[in-house]
Amino acid sequence: SPLPPARYKPPATETNPALEDPTPDYMNLLGMVFSMCGLMLKLKWCAWIAVYCSFISFANSRSSEDTKQMMSSFM
Amino acid sequence: MKNLYIFIAVLFIPWSFSLAKYDDFEDGDDIMEYDDNDFAEFEDVSEDTVTESPQRIITTEDDEEEATVELEGQDENQEDFDDADTQEGDTESEPYDDEEFEGYEEKPDASHSKNKDPITIVNVPAHLQNSWESYYMEILMVTGLLAYIMNYIIGKNKNNRLAHAWFNTHRELLESNFALVGDDGTSKEATSTGKLNQENEHIYNLWCSGRVCCEGMLIQLKFLKRQDLLNVLARMMRPASDQVQIKVTMNDEDMDTYVFAVGTRKALVRLQKEMQDLSEFCSDKPKSGAKYGLPDSLAILSEMGEVTEGMMDAKMIHFLTHYADKIDSVQFSDQFSGPKLMQEEGQLTKLPETKKTLLFTFNVPGSGNTSPKDMESLLPLMSMVIYSIDKAKKFRLNREGKQKADKNRARVEENFLKLTHVQRQEAAQSRREEKKRAEKERIMNEEDPEKQRRLEEAALRREQKKLEKKQMKMKQIKVKAM
Repeated sequence: SPLPPARYKPPATETNPALEDPTPDYMNLLGMVFSMCGLMLKLKWCAWIAVYCSFISFANSRSSEDTKQMMSSFM
Repeated sequence: MKNLYIFIAVLFIPWSFSLAKYDDFEDGDDIMEYDDNDFAEFEDVSEDTVTESPQRIITTEDDEEEATVELEGQDENQEDFDDADTQEGDTESEPYDDEEFEGYEEKPDASHSKNKDPITIVNVPAHLQNSWESYYMEILMVTGLLAYIMNYIIGKNKNNRLAHAWFNTHRELLESNFALVGDDGTSKEATSTGKLNQENEHIYNLWCSGRVCCEGMLIQLKFLKRQDLLNVLARMMRPASDQVQIKVTMNDEDMDTYVFAVGTRKALVRLQKEMQDLSEFCSDKPKSGAKYGLPDSLAILSEMGEVTEGMMDAKMIHFLTHYADKIDSVQFSDQFSGPKLMQEEGQLTKLPETKKTLLFTFNVPGSGNTSPKDMESLLPLMSMVIYSIDKAKKFRLNREGKQKADKNRARVEENFLKLTHVQRQEAAQSRREEKKRAEKERIMNEEDPEKQRRLEEAALRREQKKLEKKQMKMKQIKVKAM
């Protein structure tokens, strides 16, 4: 039973940041912390963990985020 | 921060002490010269030890990862030393003037090696070697990263394939029921894109609209995060499945007022705690559906018995029994507003907005190890959704039920108002104070003294009137009480 009054347009899907998965943001933060640690204390393993964190953050990210931000976090 | 600097400074001291040891072997080094000055006491020692074994001069570069040991042909002239210095940059120019040396090239020598034997071949410590072994940490890490990237690509592709398999299976049914299938909200006109909308690597959306009764239907394919290796590893401990979540928004006139849910017991318990409407309107614990022939795995949450009776018709029971393993939860609610919002105290001044909604959550079979073929088994569930839409439109409460429902809703609203009464009072109070303050300011700013006086008088009169009104009210209440 199809085709009567056609209704349009999706609501902006889920613009409720409170419900979203916080993983990419945490990982971003951790990555920065570790990279600072690695730089200041000259600990190589810190820097490696930072790289991993930024990768994980990227993999979990929402598409709405900037690719520029991603790239800078990789740095 | 201060502690950090102290810590680093403390680290420097033993490091520089360890450098001093090199004095034994590195006399005349550019760097060692600096150290020689600081640790002059060692210099004597080194000179003595060096003169003992005149045949060999061992130099090491400690900054770079290469260790070279050289014997220099030493002439008595300083010039040779200087030449050697400029050549290598790290040769010594110590007092061996009297002795002649031949230029040997010996095997790399360690910084630890004692100067006792004329020729000792010692292992170079790892950080000075130039072989693969010294980089084992890096190699390990890079391998890990490569593994992660590979998993990302594989997981992303799998999710993509699953999504499109689902869509291909369901496309026909959707297109026959909805005028608009697929819309991402960006185009000016409403035309079917006929495509899934990818939100990120594991969530795909599809908006369908253009059907009687419902405003629209949003389908969310919530896959597992196959693209994230951490998640993959976590799932090995705790299996989970992909989910398909369908949210149908009903038109106001097409659904009566009731709140009802059916699903797995675990899911219902969770929803009852989380969802605003279920927690307010369905006070009882989830009941078993055995009375209607439902399997034990499913339970029912309902606002009132009449709703359950009305909902559980033969076809619905058939759907629920046959596909019980794939059903996580089904929720029909006219007071749907999503999960309970965590708000700070004092902020909640209005009830959240509600919309008449049918919400379905299905589990994809396979519990993580799904293949695109499994998507076909979800097709009957979509039929159930369509059927439910029509059913929700047809089902109307009888008079009794409607009365009960209205009472419930009034009760909930009243509770809410009571809860926020204090906050609303405070808000009103502060608003009144603001008004007064604004008025006073206006009066102060008024330059004309005449006008000022007049405004003040007006304000006074208003205050008096208010006081009188209050007094009247108090009198009335007293009279009524009597």
